[in-house]
Amino acid sequence: MDESMDCGEAEARLQDYLKRELTPELAAEVRDHLVRCRGCFGHAQFEETLLQLLEARARRETCPGALRERICALLRAEADQN
Amino acid sequence: MAEPSTASVRSFDDEALPHLDALYRVALRLTGDPAQAEDLVQDTMLKAYRSWRQYRAGTNAKGWLLTILRNTFINSYRRRKLEPVAMDLEAIEPHALYRAVETADPEGNFFGQLVDEKVLEAVDALPTDFREVLVLSDMEGLPYAEIADTLGVPVGTVKSRLFRARRLLQAQLYAYAVEMGYIKPREPQDG
Repeated sequence: MDESMDCGEAEARLQDYLKRELTPELAAEVRDHLVRCRGCFGHAQFEETLLQLLEARARRETCPGALRERICALLRAEADQN
Repeated sequence: MAEPSTASVRSFDDEALPHLDALYRVALRLTGDPAQAEDLVQDTMLKAYRSWRQYRAGTNAKGWLLTILRNTFINSYRRRKLEPVAMDLEAIEPHALYRAVETADPEGNFFGQLVDEKVLEAVDALPTDFREVLVLSDMEGLPYAEIADTLGVPVGTVKSRLFRARRLLQAQLYAYAVEMGYIKPREPQDG
């Protein structure tokens, strides 16, 4: 019953763990494995850094102001038609 | 027939306009072209406004808008660039990038050297099915269940596509890093 998670299982669950899609129990098991296993810990950190990079890069892009204005004007025109 | 009134316009504005940045970003990654992305966002917002009465208050506005955007893209837009060549997923060693970086770059400079434009290029080169899941999950932070709703596929499909998308992305970054000399390709050991 007290079998802790091995590297294979931790690796298989890593994606869901990093996306916070695991049940609290499973997340705790993965976390326990990561603090005990240097290899898996390094891998998890690597994946997390890549995720942060992707998210940060995405956030730098915003809707151009001119497009925003055009859309607002179109919506007002639609509303006025009705 | 009650048409959208001023009051409903205001609530549409309140619900939908805060998501313009996310819609634009996803449109940009789907179309691969800023002008097309603008058209797609504009079409999406008009469609959403016209079907505003079908939207149920309390449902997730971002997911609803992304669903409209994605359907509009599928139905009316063609990616002008050639679709990337299908890659043989099985030929890609899982986590090759991590393993290579682990040995070649113990100081962890890899990400510092990785120009983020290259990361975007790698995302844009993914096949559409994989790219849209990776964009919605890793770039926009949507949970699996919302992505599944947006794409109309089971959660299990979202998970497996995301896994493969990451693998493909890492394979490209690995190739790039080798090309730039950031990491050395794995070679047979020679004493």
